[in-house]
Amino acid sequence: MLKYLTGKSSGGAHADELASPGRRGFIVGMAGAVLTLAFARSPLSLANPDKTVAEGAFDPTVWYWIEPDGRVVVNIAKAEMGQHIGTALARIVADELEADWEQVELRYVDSDPKWGYMVTGGSWSVWKSFDPLSRAGAAGRKVLIEEGAKKLGVKPEQCRARAGRIIAGNQSISYADLVRGGGISRSFTDEELKQMPIKPPAERRIIGGQTRALDIPGKVDGSTLYGLDAKVDGMVYGRPIIPPTRYGSSVSSIDDSAAREIPGYRQTVTLEDPSGTVPGWAMVIADSFHAANQAVKRITVNWSPGKTTGVDEQAVLDHGRKLIGTADQGVLALDAGEVDKAFNDAAEVLESEYVTHGVLHFQLEPVNAVALEKDGTWEIHTGNQWQSLIIPVLSRALQVPKEKIVMRTYLLGGGFGRRLNGDYSVPAALAAKAVGRPVKMVLTREDDALFDSIRSPSVQKIRMAFDGDGKITAMEHHATAGWPTQVMAPDFMADGINGKYDPFAIQGALHWYTMNGHRVRAISNDLANDTFRPGWLRSVGSGWVNWALESAIDEAAHKAGEDPIEFRLRRLKAIGRNAGSAPNAVGGAARQANVVRRVRELSGWGAELPADTALGVATSYGQERNMPTWTACVARVRVDRETGRATVEKLSLVTDAGTIVHPDGARAQVEGAALWGMSMALHEGTVLHNGNVADTNLNTYTPLRMRDVPEIEMEFVDSTETAVGLGEPATTVVGPAIGNAIFAAVGVRMRELPIRPHALLAELQRDSKANREA
Amino acid sequence: MSKRWYIAIAVLAVIAGGLALAVWEPAIPAADEASRQDFSPGQVERGKVLAGIGNCGTCHTVSPDKPFAGGVEFPSPFGSLYSTNISPHPQDGIGRWPREAFVRAMREGVSREGSHLYPAFPFTHFKNITDEDLDALYAYFMTREPVAYTPPQNDLSFPFNLRFLQWGWKLLFFDPDPWQPDPERGEQWNRGAYLAKGLGHCSACHTPRNFMQAEKKDRAYAGALVDNWYATALDESQPVPVHWDRESLYEYLREGTSRFQGVAVGSMGEVVHRGLRLAPDSDIRALATYTESLSGGRNNGNSRQIAAETITAAQQRARSEYSPGEELYVAACAACHYNDPQDPLAVRAELSLNSAVTADDPTNLLRVVMEGVGTGAGTPTLVMPGFSTLSDENLVALADFLRERSNLPPWKNLRKRIGELRELHRQSQPSATGKAGEQP
Amino acid sequence: MTTEFKINARPVRVDVPEDTPLLWVIRDDLGYTGTKFGCGIGLCGACTVHVNGRATRSCITPVKDVANSVVTTIEGLAENGHPLLETWVEAQTPQCGYCQPGQIMQAAAMLRDFPNPTDEQINQVMSGNFCRCMAYVRIREAIRMAAQRMQAGSGRPQEADHA
Ligand code: FES
Ligand code: FES
Repeated sequence: MLKYLTGKSSGGAHADELASPGRRGFIVGMAGAVLTLAFARSPLSLANPDKTVAEGAFDPTVWYWIEPDGRVVVNIAKAEMGQHIGTALARIVADELEADWEQVELRYVDSDPKWGYMVTGGSWSVWKSFDPLSRAGAAGRKVLIEEGAKKLGVKPEQCRARAGRIIAGNQSISYADLVRGGGISRSFTDEELKQMPIKPPAERRIIGGQTRALDIPGKVDGSTLYGLDAKVDGMVYGRPIIPPTRYGSSVSSIDDSAAREIPGYRQTVTLEDPSGTVPGWAMVIADSFHAANQAVKRITVNWSPGKTTGVDEQAVLDHGRKLIGTADQGVLALDAGEVDKAFNDAAEVLESEYVTHGVLHFQLEPVNAVALEKDGTWEIHTGNQWQSLIIPVLSRALQVPKEKIVMRTYLLGGGFGRRLNGDYSVPAALAAKAVGRPVKMVLTREDDALFDSIRSPSVQKIRMAFDGDGKITAMEHHATAGWPTQVMAPDFMADGINGKYDPFAIQGALHWYTMNGHRVRAISNDLANDTFRPGWLRSVGSGWVNWALESAIDEAAHKAGEDPIEFRLRRLKAIGRNAGSAPNAVGGAARQANVVRRVRELSGWGAELPADTALGVATSYGQERNMPTWTACVARVRVDRETGRATVEKLSLVTDAGTIVHPDGARAQVEGAALWGMSMALHEGTVLHNGNVADTNLNTYTPLRMRDVPEIEMEFVDSTETAVGLGEPATTVVGPAIGNAIFAAVGVRMRELPIRPHALLAELQRDSKANREA
Repeated sequence: MSKRWYIAIAVLAVIAGGLALAVWEPAIPAADEASRQDFSPGQVERGKVLAGIGNCGTCHTVSPDKPFAGGVEFPSPFGSLYSTNISPHPQDGIGRWPREAFVRAMREGVSREGSHLYPAFPFTHFKNITDEDLDALYAYFMTREPVAYTPPQNDLSFPFNLRFLQWGWKLLFFDPDPWQPDPERGEQWNRGAYLAKGLGHCSACHTPRNFMQAEKKDRAYAGALVDNWYATALDESQPVPVHWDRESLYEYLREGTSRFQGVAVGSMGEVVHRGLRLAPDSDIRALATYTESLSGGRNNGNSRQIAAETITAAQQRARSEYSPGEELYVAACAACHYNDPQDPLAVRAELSLNSAVTADDPTNLLRVVMEGVGTGAGTPTLVMPGFSTLSDENLVALADFLRERSNLPPWKNLRKRIGELRELHRQSQPSATGKAGEQP
Repeated sequence: MTTEFKINARPVRVDVPEDTPLLWVIRDDLGYTGTKFGCGIGLCGACTVHVNGRATRSCITPVKDVANSVVTTIEGLAENGHPLLETWVEAQTPQCGYCQPGQIMQAAAMLRDFPNPTDEQINQVMSGNFCRCMAYVRIREAIRMAAQRMQAGSGRPQEADHA
């Protein structure tokens, strides 16, 4: 997102807030007996750091502090949802600070303007925080060395910092003692901080080493608190009754007479929502969640529904097809080279349509929130990924200024992008306002699915022009789907050639293959946007875009009669616009070629395999050309010709994400992301039916379970380049690798996700019929 | 026990209507309240055990604070029957019944006042009880706490409400002669037969009935649906892959679980955990010996091997498919029911061996799946959650899968049966439960 | 309607409607929030607790069905110590962590029935516990490690939750 924010197009509102904290001052001071290192908000506080610290005025942008007992407490303004982000960020700080890792603790913070723009998504957290946190750590080290030198009676040059101690020759003093000694006072200007030297990669001691994640013990013994565990005095429970359409429904009547005999049932309120987030919602209020659930079964709500009651999957897909077929629809995100000429001159054109169906986030903790007003301030207790997006919405909904709203932080029982959209906090707040007391709103799983911001169904058309020698001369990629950013965060739309587009809905398409012509057209499916609220779901657009792209590349390779890996390597040339650039994309396509080559080795590409079993490959740069995570995957798949079932036997993955801060966490992310990719390719997926998702719980929605987990082998490229994101890219390569393996195994090309056994079976039968007739 | 004998009565109404006056039995005069001192403690104690074996409490107790006071409802399309108060209360119960009246009721199905009892009360079996045991039972009931409680009046429509019609039924189906021991068989078998045919009235549940709701003599122990539980076949048609033998029957009747056949829940759970709880081991072994003989000794001692083969084959069949039913099984059932074929555990009831799956009637499976099993309903340590939250379609898919896994044809009319059982369950619950994915 | 049972070795009496799912009693009335709510229909295992030592999905178990039983939650297991809790940390198993108490409770019950489980047995038993983060590889690994440790006799868990 940074790309779009600091880039040319962003609506300026957030740009300042998001700007690197490095531009501000940084201060070190003592508050009581605690050493605090802080980015100061104003030059004023730099003038008198002692006073600033003593008054607590520095508090706004504190990154970490050191307690008198030596504990280093790192403030984490990111959502913890399984990525162990706190550990990764703390490792960056601790490495430069030369802290004793055993003494490092995390503190997740509440929303406050002092943290700057609060969002956790896009696999950006490490990438964006690496530099400022490193320099913050380095600044602390510098101060502690100077202070330690004084205490040890030596020159700072004679000292080094290691594991929470300042060492000079054979004497040393701990950070704890230095802090207890008091009197540390030092400030850094903006310029000084920018110049603050950080260690060369070779001297890193904590980054890249094996370490346990700090958030894990509490998740094992049950003590970790998630949003669902929030509790406040005097709260009642709220369970929504969700209207028949996402938009445009209004309540005409509510009959709760049959519910009144349920002990603990209180009332049912119709939510009045000036922000338009939850139109037509009713909220059942009761003393217990069970009572609320029992009441819901006995309450009849009549709505005047919105206009999308009859919309089903087919209508959305057909609408997408129509949009693709209409030349003036959509926005060109890229139009490089002579595309039209290439197609005019083409000896042959390959054209394929790819479809993906809706995907539920199904984060295991259904969305929930506790809302209350205390002394004129609204508190929302919940897990959230994008506080800065939803607080303004809450402000409109509650009709109070943004400053009067604070989100209290809990861990997330899964994010995957669902909680980037904080819409669930709105009905909780409105209900609390309506009943005048704290409300804990809990959605059942079914409610959660109905209210989900699903990954939109998509339709894509890819055309490739071939010259007389069978070489690709140009590619056109047309992609349509619901656009989450357009609906929820229009400020973040990107500038295309002829208008604004949702960068997240097309990311992954701006590939690094060198071709003469390359055109990418992104089209918003307005029927999708009207019917449901499209969501950002793990890797967002890359999830469907790369399915089409890497399937098409495979089709082209087969058409050209070339080995799919060779075919790709020949086009991954670090030249022209694919040469790459510092600092984020050093090496460009060459690094993508490298991961493809390495996965070829790792997977034993080319070896003899049993009948109906084959390998398929796919690769990706991840999401953003400005933050490429080079990823390649080979899937070994066996197809059962009787049942049409594709079994993934093994996944081999190679990732180049630059510097790996927390290697074990990185592996976990790739494991999880790869299995997500597999699950979306073969096991899950839903359709729209009468304006809602057809599947609302695990009785019909069947994501991958343990028995389906294949062997996974993975490698990370050893690198000291810029650390980029890891949470998502692997999701995008597994689907096409499976599709390509199916083609290699049994010769049928699947162009729809998920790949259902009956569909594969039908293709096999058609194929064998065609063969017989031929 | 049966509640579907009303049709039979309707037929009899025509045949026997005219005989109405001829069939009254004389009333036996009320006695003074039987006093505790008349009975020896040993006799009372023995009566307690026997009352358990007879499972009297289950039918005659509606809540624990009113033991033996009757009032248990036996609903039917023609109205409801309610069990009577058999506590020694002088007005509401049988406190003023002399021994003679008690014996006549037990052996002939006639009340002290002379009216015919409906054969929901199994006098057809109790006639086989010895004098000595009847004395003990009488002693036991007469020394209970008298409970002042009048069960609701039977609420049957005409002509089912005419008690004297029972006379005709008896004429047709009731042989008053008591069972005689078989000198060819050993003592243990005869003891078992006496308990099963008499007080235990096993065949009342396990034997199918004819259209007049009398047990079909030629199909004894061929399995029947009673109280919306399926009492499985115990004869040679028993549907379990690993046939019952003396040991497994003993284990089952004693503990409520047997390794290769399953766990006693529902009505049978009550029989085992309430009824047979106090019965001496020797009686349980006798019952096992007799019951084993019902199948003509089909188990030939290779239970372990048959179980292993059956489970392996079932797992093999399951592996080759990914149906919605299989997905549900994996998500909902396998965690507790998966077994190592070589070593299935009784507490992990193996579904390919279990008659809930292998019987022709789906009732037991559906009920257990939907209602679950609480600490009070089956083996006291065993709890299974109820999956009534699954949709009808889900339950059909799951049942179909389980049948397929056992290489058996799908059950027919599952949806209808699920609907009926849901209704039954709903009525027994204070509040309704919704279905999965239910949209408000 | 009061129901009595033991939870984590503490006798409790709760006064709630008898059809209240055990899950909400545990979480909201008794305050053990380690037990989670995922699907509410018995298909994800997030709410798994032990009843009389056996894994049970508390979201569809009415509280009346556990009358007089012994219930153990993740907090109880942690109090008593269990090799799984160590290996779960060693394998760095949790991602978001939300499913993990249920996974651990299920695994602990499994190790009683299958003290030395094969991969097949782990897959069959544990596939009922859904993990949206798809941390399956490490769940399996942590179970294997714990089983080995328990086989070696160094980590026998206390059988505190048998009735
Ligand atoms: S919440 Fe109980 S099984 Fe999912
Ligand atoms: S760790 Fe997140 S659901 Fe399992």
